[in-house]
Amino acid sequence: MSATLQQTSRLYSELQNEFYSSNPDLNRCGQYLATLKVMLSKISLLLPEGEINNAEALLIGRNILEIGALWSVATKDIPSFERYIAQLHTYYTDYGSLLPQSQQMYPLIGLNLLRLLSQNRIAEFHTALENIEPEQLLDNAYVKHPVHLEQYLMEGSYNKVWNSRAEIPAPQYAFFIDILMETIRNEIASCSEKAYTCLPLADAATLLFFDNRQDVMTFAMERGWQVDTDGKIYFATKNDNMVEIPSTSIIKHTLYYARELEQIV
Amino acid sequence: MSIVEQDVEMVAAEEEVDETAKNALEADALVLADLKQNFALLERAVATIESRFITRVLRTIASIRKRLNANVLSQAIQLAFPRDSPDRSKLLDYLGKESGVMEVDSEEDTREQAPILPEIDIYLNLMVMIYLLDKQELEKGVQLANETTSRLQTFSRRTLDQLSARIYFYYARFYEILGKLAEIRPILLAAQRTATLRHDDDCQATLLNLLLRNYFHYNLYDQADKLVSKATFPETAGNNQQARYMYYLGRIKAIQLDYTASHNHLLQAMRKAPQNTITAGFQQAVYKLSIIVQLLMGEIPERSIFRQPVLRKPLIPYLHIVQAVRVGDLSNFQEALAKYSDVFRADKTFTLILRLRHNVIKAGIRMISLSYSRIHLRDICLKLHLDSEEDAEYIVAKAIRDGVIDATIDHENGYMKSKVSETGVFSIKKAQRLTKPMVKMPTPVQFQENVDIYSTNEPQVAFHQRISFCLNLHNESVKAMRFPLNAHRKELASADALRERERELVKEIAEGEMDEDDDVADF
Repeated sequence: MSATLQQTSRLYSELQNEFYSSNPDLNRCGQYLATLKVMLSKISLLLPEGEINNAEALLIGRNILEIGALWSVATKDIPSFERYIAQLHTYYTDYGSLLPQSQQMYPLIGLNLLRLLSQNRIAEFHTALENIEPEQLLDNAYVKHPVHLEQYLMEGSYNKVWNSRAEIPAPQYAFFIDILMETIRNEIASCSEKAYTCLPLADAATLLFFDNRQDVMTFAMERGWQVDTDGKIYFATKNDNMVEIPSTSIIKHTLYYARELEQIV
Repeated sequence: MSIVEQDVEMVAAEEEVDETAKNALEADALVLADLKQNFALLERAVATIESRFITRVLRTIASIRKRLNANVLSQAIQLAFPRDSPDRSKLLDYLGKESGVMEVDSEEDTREQAPILPEIDIYLNLMVMIYLLDKQELEKGVQLANETTSRLQTFSRRTLDQLSARIYFYYARFYEILGKLAEIRPILLAAQRTATLRHDDDCQATLLNLLLRNYFHYNLYDQADKLVSKATFPETAGNNQQARYMYYLGRIKAIQLDYTASHNHLLQAMRKAPQNTITAGFQQAVYKLSIIVQLLMGEIPERSIFRQPVLRKPLIPYLHIVQAVRVGDLSNFQEALAKYSDVFRADKTFTLILRLRHNVIKAGIRMISLSYSRIHLRDICLKLHLDSEEDAEYIVAKAIRDGVIDATIDHENGYMKSKVSETGVFSIKKAQRLTKPMVKMPTPVQFQENVDIYSTNEPQVAFHQRISFCLNLHNESVKAMRFPLNAHRKELASADALRERERELVKEIAEGEMDEDDDVADF
């Protein structure tokens, strides 16, 4: 047991050196992480359970998982990031009292929030928010960022979302923000379809945060917008006011009433 | 003041002391009598396997609790337990009494050498726990609670179900006050599983609620949600537990942005909870949450809620929020939020209220679109205290998309144009007539109120809801009827006699009424 632990800590320091070096080799890190995970599961630290007194071992476990999470972001592997965060959750909540607070904890929590936002999993986003102390919610730079982003998204200040790109608290945030931008662009497009009858191409470019006309044209093609020769986009006004008669549900309800009434009398 | 008068006063005071002492003794005797009666009821419950008697015993807890003291309890314990029982001295230890104090009762004790019923044993444990809780002797209480619960797990008696539910409740309560709730989670989970296997509805309901409360205490909504989706809440559980469960469900759904479901659960919680001053705390908590959920749904809660005597004071911060949302004034909203943020944090509604910000903006946009047929985006920005014109444009566009307002944006000239005025050649008067009733609408954030509601499926849905509610109610009441076993045979035989008795009774009542009338006439 202790031998594995020593081995783990040795390999961990190698991983640490590699990952935090100025130009880390992500492939090598991935190999390290894979072997480390096997080791961790051998000494049952991958998903710790019950009473564990060895704070040192716990600390190593946590640090490895933290590097793993950051590494997943660096390699743009979202499912793997999700797994690491789920594993870290036990360390942060259940064993939080045994360990010194991690430097990486809030950045990772913030990243996770941002991930949920970018995947449009708003319900889970809010559930995750409840786990964070209210003081941190508006004061901690790492947590504040996604929280504000969500607010902007809800009220529709897409402009501020766009500008928040410049204010990211950690470089890793950029990855998820970029995904988010795609979603936002589609949101804006669907809003514009409803809100405007026509829009000049140049204005559409600024609204949709495109740099040149060509991008707007391709985007417009994708969404099926009509672009006129005078350089204006015309949005087709759809009339889907037809109310369908829900015949099946009416039949179902009536049969249900008939059956119930039959039982009463 | 003369000496005589002073003397008189002192005598009077002494008499008063005597009086109170005597009163206390009498009260003690009464409590003891109540406890004894409860023992009898418990014995009967075991003999007939009827849970009704136990319900009656539990109902007296509230009234006995107020009058409880160590003396009465120790007397009751000495009465109930056989002399040499180790549990007896243990319970007395918890009360701080020595087991040999009441030697007077020894004769009575020798009579009762029969082993004590577990029901009475557990009942006494429960009473001692409640006593310790009231006396704030938490450490002792936790110890006793631990022992009692571990003992409970060795029994499998259906007549114990209701009692053990209560024991678990106080067990968790002790741990909660001491702030060690996380420790008992595995025990509660195990007990919950056992209760489910035994179809022990009371324990199941209580334990499920305790677990949810436990999770909420640490903001573990994720786990709570998973628990709820895996475990079924027994339908036959008592109203109080159901009300609690509904409240917890409402909370989970509110966090997950499922406001309609949340509102439904909260409504049920309000209706199931007893409407008296004892449950004021619960009612307040439910109303606080439900107000916020209603706001998030785009509805404005009724003003009358804030006038109810139990709710008026604690709801004041929420009233300010509601007013801000109703008018759509962002600065008012921020002010209220800043002013009462501590209250909201304590109520755990802070994060929910933070979500309201965009509802405020929506309400504001809606007000503007109703009052202006055409307005510059810059003016919207100023009116709503937004940061920039671009923001305003995006926000208005989103409001149009979400169906909050019916309007278009003219980007080149930078203004928003409401569709109502566009339709026409309306004179100003006509437009006013159209918009006026809308401004008066009690719910500012509502979607397209101009549509004739009877041309939609809405009424059908509403009717369906009511019909199925009524049918359900009927079915439930049929299910809830109780018939005594085999009683109808006896009844058949004595039906005639019964009818005879009834006739007599009617006669007596009629005569009695006349007598009363006579009495009144005499005076």
